[in-house]
Amino acid sequence: MYIFKNALRCISRSKGRNILIGIIVLVIAVSACIGLSIRQAAENARKETLDGMSVTATISFDRQSAMSNMTPPTQGGDMSSPPEFDRSQFAEMMGSSSALTLEEYETYAKAQTVKDFYYSLSVSLDGDDNLLPVSSEDTQTEDDTENNKGGFGGMMPGGMGGFDRVMGAQSDFTVVGYSSETAMTDFINGTASVTTGEVFAEGTKDYECIISEELATYNNLSVGDSITVINPNSETESYILTVTGFYTDTTANENSFSMMGMTSNDPANKIYMSYNALQAMVEASEGVSETKTDEDTGREFETALTGTLSATYSFADVEGFEQFESDVREMGLDESYTVSSTDITAFENSLTPLTTLSKTAGYFLIVILIIGAVILVVLNIFSVRERKYEIGVLTAMGMKKTKVAMQFMAEIFMVTLVSVIIGAAVGAVASVPVANTLLENQTTAKEQQFQNMEQGFGRGDKGETGMPGNMGGMPQGGFMKDFIGNPTEYITEINSATDVTVLLQMLGIAVLLTLIAGMASMLFIMRYEPLRILSNRD
Amino acid sequence: MSLLSLKNISFSYGKKIILNDITYDFEAGKMYCITGKSGAGKTTLLSILSGLAAPGSGSIFYKDEDIAKIDKYKFRSKYMGVIFQSFNLITKFTALENVMLSMDIAGVKDKQRAKKAAELLAEVGLDSDEANRRVLMLSGGQQQRVAIARALSYNPDIILADEPTGNLDTETQAEIMEIFRRLADNGKCVILVSHSPQVAKMCDECYQLQAQKKG
Ligand SMILES: Nc1ncnc2c1ncn2[C@@H]1O[C@H](COP(=O)(O)OP(=O)(O)OP(=O)(O)O)[C@@H](O)[C@H]1O
Ligand SMILES: [Mg+2]
Repeated sequence: MYIFKNALRCISRSKGRNILIGIIVLVIAVSACIGLSIRQAAENARKETLDGMSVTATISFDRQSAMSNMTPPTQGGDMSSPPEFDRSQFAEMMGSSSALTLEEYETYAKAQTVKDFYYSLSVSLDGDDNLLPVSSEDTQTEDDTENNKGGFGGMMPGGMGGFDRVMGAQSDFTVVGYSSETAMTDFINGTASVTTGEVFAEGTKDYECIISEELATYNNLSVGDSITVINPNSETESYILTVTGFYTDTTANENSFSMMGMTSNDPANKIYMSYNALQAMVEASEGVSETKTDEDTGREFETALTGTLSATYSFADVEGFEQFESDVREMGLDESYTVSSTDITAFENSLTPLTTLSKTAGYFLIVILIIGAVILVVLNIFSVRERKYEIGVLTAMGMKKTKVAMQFMAEIFMVTLVSVIIGAAVGAVASVPVANTLLENQTTAKEQQFQNMEQGFGRGDKGETGMPGNMGGMPQGGFMKDFIGNPTEYITEINSATDVTVLLQMLGIAVLLTLIAGMASMLFIMRYEPLRILSNRD
Repeated sequence: MSLLSLKNISFSYGKKIILNDITYDFEAGKMYCITGKSGAGKTTLLSILSGLAAPGSGSIFYKDEDIAKIDKYKFRSKYMGVIFQSFNLITKFTALENVMLSMDIAGVKDKQRAKKAAELLAEVGLDSDEANRRVLMLSGGQQQRVAIARALSYNPDIILADEPTGNLDTETQAEIMEIFRRLADNGKCVILVSHSPQVAKMCDECYQLQAQKKG
């Protein structure tokens, strides 16, 4: 095609102008490549992680909607004394409507994408004189701050434990019964392990349990010993468990909860057994239940042990989880329950800086492209006007205007393509350090934000036990920890960003810029009349 | 049968009438001369003949076909070779490139194009150094000869030349006229615009263009 030969010749005969255009396009290309690479990196990071991620989910009662449905607390003028929150009304509501039964959980487990389903029951119990909880305090203070009662049960996997025991006294131990070994996620993912003896038989109905090594040492226990646990609501009601093994939990040392006076939530004070055994215990307790009156509030309550059931569904992938979300709605789960996955939430959180950066990169890209296109259009208009005579000659010689326009287009495209190729190469090299630097800034900003938030919630000093005053109408700060309990591990580095997709996008940009800039030339070429140009020589 | 004919052609720039009711006939194998005073409208007439300008009224027929109805680009690039008074060369290209570009536009598929172009340039009197020089760096006469070579390069039926020898010395003029004569003898239709009596003498037929009164 002589058009391309001609185009090449024309480029080589006006180097200055084409180098100028080339440099402009190069700048656009490098910026665009970095922008696109960042977006691609974010997308890749998401995909890669999601692909390999097995997702677990829980169904929980939406406490927020529950709370907002209650009579709203009147805003008091004095910030130091939070407005009155009707705790009893709240507790009643939580108690009656919140927890799904095991049958309901099992119904939803029949949803097609559920790969695995397991559950656990947790019950708060006290020990007898021979079984004291591991505590950082010398003496057990029975009348602990009212605010703290049961507040931190939110540590349970289901996040449902928070409010079930608002009425009860504070207990020493959390006894957790697992439906199967797969439910013991800490032992599976390696954060906890049985170090002495062995775990109780899966699904056993016997009162067998494993306790933490710390608890064993604290109480001079050895494998095979029996321990006695007592219903905190009724001192006469006790159960004898056989210790089959000790476990260590690596999270125990890092966890700040033990510092907050909540002994039953100290991982060292957790006693694990089979769900069947614990359920049998709860049923036995129901058999001997009596009605008592709370001394402080004067409210009546049953002494029977109540457990918090938490169920976990696991899925092969994110799609499975998403399908499950819609399936359970069809199966009749109403809107006051939320289906959530901590894996996905944590994952999304870890991506926040990258996602923010990706969005910024997107806007940046658009701005760069618009500015670039405008500059190119203007340059091309100048260029075409300058080459008016040449256009006149070509058309006078019988070259079709469309072919002339194509030749001009080809010239722009060749220059653009070369610039874009160089730009892509430069951008590919530059994008990784640029992206990582930006990402670092983002992460630092996010961490700063988190610290500020921690301070805002009065958690700046980890040793502090009192609940913050500036939390408005919320008496139980515990579940706030769920949202920000642990600083998120952000993705702070990307390694490869420029891939085939980016290169194709770059090619698309080259074509786009050529078309936009070429349109300008095209309009002029189509308008020109050869005779007029040739007879009006300047 | 006439190869190219003008029937009652009129043309005006605005109110200024340039051509008034012109009827000319051009046959293959003949050389024609169009004369007239400066400003009489000779260049304008050639523009109409080559299809670059549309006449105000009247029609032009190429092989009995109204050129208003045929593909003007094809007509200009294949059948008609125009040598413009102002050359109209692409100045950033070399002489050879200009000639070859015309061949490309005309769709000449010849593998020997480059050789043929060089031969043509040699024929009009440009050596190979001049042929490979950018047109901008050639003299007026040399540029005129490049324009002639370009018009001949794709072997058109009709050659239109506007003062083709105006910038040439008598000797070169004679050589160029020889070329035109030979083309006419080989069956082409050559239409020249010239003030030169020598040129007029070598032509088979002459048309005298009358300058129109100002109105
Ligand atoms: N674009 C134009 N607009 C208005 N008038 C024009 C235009 N081009 C040419 N003319 C006028 O038309 C007339 C004929 O011009 P033309 O170029 O055809 O003359 P010519 O016979 O070729 O003259 P010369 O021998 O000097 O080349 C002239 O008076 C000229 O001024
Ligand atoms: Mg003239």
